[in-house]
Amino acid sequence: MSLMASHSPSAIPGARFMDPVVLARIGNLSLVSRAVVDGFINGLHKAPYFGASVDFAEHRGYVPGDDIRRVDWRLWARTDRYYVKEYEAESNMNFSVLLDVSKSMDYGSIGITKLDYARVLTACLTSLVHHQRDRVGFVAFDNDVVEHVPPSAKHMETVLHVLDRLKPGRPGSLRGPLHKLAEHFGRRGVLVVISDFYEDPETVVDAVTPLRFRGNDLIVFHVLDPAELDFGFSSASAFEDLESGEQIPVVPDTMRREYKKLVQAHVDALQQRFSEVRVDYTLLDTSKPLDFALFQYLSSREKKLRLR
Amino acid sequence: MSFLAPLFFAALAALAIPVLIHLIQREKKQVVRFPSLMFIQRVPYKSVRRRRIHNWFLLIVRLTALALIVLAFSRPFFERDDLDLATGGAREVVVLLDQSYSLAMGDRWERARAAASDAIDGLGPDDRGSVVLFSSGAEIAMRSTAAGERERLRAAVAAARPTAGATRYAPALKVAGSILAESSLPRREVVLVSDFQRTGWRGEEGARLPEGTTVRPVALTSGADLANASVTAVSLARSTFSNQERVAVTAVVVNRSTRSLRGGRIALEIGGRPIQTEPLEVEANSSTSVTFDPVTLAGPFMRGTVRTGDDALPTDNVFHFVVSPAQPVRVLVIDRGGTGGGALYLMRALAIGDAPRFEAAVRQPDAVPDEDLRRASAVIVNDVAVPAALGRRLLRFVEAGGGLFVAAGSRATWAGDVDLLPAALEAPVDRTRGEAARVGALEFAHPVFEPFRTPRSGDFAAARIYGYRNVKPGMGTEVLARFDGGAPALVERRVGAGRVLLWASTLDLAWSDFPLKPVYLPFVHQAVRHLAAYAEPAPWLTVGQVLDASSGTAPAQAASTVVLTPSGRRVGIDEEGADVLELTEQGFYELRSRTGDTVTAVVASNVDTTESDLTPMDPKEIVVATAPAPGEGRQAGAAGQTLTPEAQERSQRLWWYLLCIGILLLGADTLISNRLSKT
Repeated sequence: MSLMASHSPSAIPGARFMDPVVLARIGNLSLVSRAVVDGFINGLHKAPYFGASVDFAEHRGYVPGDDIRRVDWRLWARTDRYYVKEYEAESNMNFSVLLDVSKSMDYGSIGITKLDYARVLTACLTSLVHHQRDRVGFVAFDNDVVEHVPPSAKHMETVLHVLDRLKPGRPGSLRGPLHKLAEHFGRRGVLVVISDFYEDPETVVDAVTPLRFRGNDLIVFHVLDPAELDFGFSSASAFEDLESGEQIPVVPDTMRREYKKLVQAHVDALQQRFSEVRVDYTLLDTSKPLDFALFQYLSSREKKLRLR
Repeated sequence: MSFLAPLFFAALAALAIPVLIHLIQREKKQVVRFPSLMFIQRVPYKSVRRRRIHNWFLLIVRLTALALIVLAFSRPFFERDDLDLATGGAREVVVLLDQSYSLAMGDRWERARAAASDAIDGLGPDDRGSVVLFSSGAEIAMRSTAAGERERLRAAVAAARPTAGATRYAPALKVAGSILAESSLPRREVVLVSDFQRTGWRGEEGARLPEGTTVRPVALTSGADLANASVTAVSLARSTFSNQERVAVTAVVVNRSTRSLRGGRIALEIGGRPIQTEPLEVEANSSTSVTFDPVTLAGPFMRGTVRTGDDALPTDNVFHFVVSPAQPVRVLVIDRGGTGGGALYLMRALAIGDAPRFEAAVRQPDAVPDEDLRRASAVIVNDVAVPAALGRRLLRFVEAGGGLFVAAGSRATWAGDVDLLPAALEAPVDRTRGEAARVGALEFAHPVFEPFRTPRSGDFAAARIYGYRNVKPGMGTEVLARFDGGAPALVERRVGAGRVLLWASTLDLAWSDFPLKPVYLPFVHQAVRHLAAYAEPAPWLTVGQVLDASSGTAPAQAASTVVLTPSGRRVGIDEEGADVLELTEQGFYELRSRTGDTVTAVVASNVDTTESDLTPMDPKEIVVATAPAPGEGRQAGAAGQTLTPEAQERSQRLWWYLLCIGILLLGADTLISNRLSKT
């Protein structure tokens, strides 16, 4: 099986990162996600919160209101002070992916659209989290909420099913649906927003940051097609906006440099603004392998946890 | 080049389709769908907004193919002239130059000559040219002259002047047709320089030009709305006052233009001197009459002229006439005389009448002076026995042109050796018993009975004839009337220059009540007028009519006459000169005896006033009417002048080539566009 060949020692090094185009051709999200996720460390991500667990984390001084059952009586016997024992909370967290399914996501210049790429990415992340026995949920939105699967340990199959029949439809807008969802995610968890963010950086950040207000950990994936990044068109043509249908005659050669500069500035601005509000931002190029993206992300998450 | 189906040119609008395809379709094909124009819109504007043609070659191929196919469907063909033009060939050009008097108006004549000169200058080195001048007739001024002798053609045009004639196109076109028919050159052309008056063309005049002739009209029609009055006629009312004959002249003035004529004057001239002038006002498109005071007729050949003021066309403002004192018809009645004379009714009948007046003298058969016989125009022998000597004199009289009427009653006898009577006199027939005879079976075609032709204009059958002479018409006689039994009643015979009428009954009440019937008087007048060959002299003639030697003169004087034309030319019209003289000028023609140089007659000549009507016509009418009829083309084909069916088909085959080229181009277009779409 070629997908599994990525882990065999005999495989050529470059093939380790799976080509997203090949993955898109498989069509079965369950199989795809399993194939991708199985390449990672099994079940080793720590919950970001302290909770009831067997793994001791640290001692801290007793404050009125603490459960007296957590008081370490042996330490009190030695030091005559009240300490409370803290343990690492293990993964029974909520994990939801918020996927932008607006019309602009239905674009792909290399055989896979941004939406398909995001679909596979969602399936992979969900599958990864599900292996940890965490609760998985899913939300699709354009300028409103299109699909909503509440987080649950049993919703893995549902999420994959919903993902499978998603269709890009209307023009998108971040602010409306995300503000609505911010009120919805009451329980702390991990939220992943996947979008192409064709809006002003301020507007994007303004729309996304409310998701953090209830203590959610927020991860943002910015998905772009290589054509959107490089603008590799040659002949003069009329460019039609996928969402509005507006047409503009364009001579690409004369404006490529300015375009790329503008896109880079947009990405930089997003990076800058998200880091300011402590949101993890990752730019994903759909021509890059999926597990490479996951690897990049998860390793950075690992580092963050360790830092904490 | 002409087209059989020119309506197909409307399909040329389809040429817009490939242009639109090139402008629109090509653009649509290159639409790139892009997630968002957010950044593109921020880039400073450098896109190409104006639509432009992407592939000029393809567009031209498509347009050419479509245009060729449309052209093919419109069925182009070369007319024969075009073929000749295309292949070259010498021309036979006939310049028809109108010189009717309407050309004298304004600058028309200068323009006409310039147009004719242009046509002559346009002759190629191998062409031949003719100049035909025409008005009411046509005259070949220069016939089929080589282009090298252009100067002669030009001189013929330069020498031409407007005449007094009216416009008639048919004679000129017939002359042109004859010149062209004799020509062996491949191309034929008629240049018709005229003011194209409606009055000059009646439509079907049978003037056809040979097959393939091009008629190029040069119209000189400006100034048609100028005021133009013309004197079209005068009427002369004779009267007698103090034993002097007078004549009152009434002139008719017609204004055929659209402007009314006010403040004009009209004058009567007698003998060249104006004697009366009257004011003249004529509304547009109407006529008026002006009556002058009576003028005493002083002598023979009094020349009168009615003249109005100047206007755009002065030629028709003058009207000439000649008036002479009325000449009586002298009649010699030979009667037995005495109380029993039967000439009472006859003399009474002859005493009545003004036009003409009869001057009758009664003589007995044995006392007829030579002088009476010489002066008389007609002799009536009223039921008398004519001795042989008188008979011979009467024979000479008749042979010299006199007229003889013989009434054959019971007393009439005729010398058998004088062959003058139209019929031999035989025994009388008595119809006093039983039904009286009636006169019937009249020859109404004869001048004597012509006035009685129409119904209710005289009933000869009302007269009862109780007795008549049986007559036996001889050879060369004509029975003009018969009695109801079939016997001849009136027989005519021409003898020499004169005529003899024989009435088989009496002209008094002895054998009939004919003198009591209303038809008697007109019958006698008509018979005498006929025998005397009386004709009222015409006060004027019209240009184009002919003048013969007997005009206005007694037959005996006609032998040698010289005519002095208004322009002063002397023309003889006797056996030494021409037989007749056509009137070509406006004015008075004088006829003089060649010997004594005395004026024997004066004839007034006027222009044809139909020419005054300047209403123009469409020259195309003439062009169409002179084109040969379909049948004629076939006949001309025998002489190789028309196209055979194969040649006609060949001249129309162009569409086939056009269609083929168009389809080939479309095929090439398909190949090119396929190749382009692959790249």
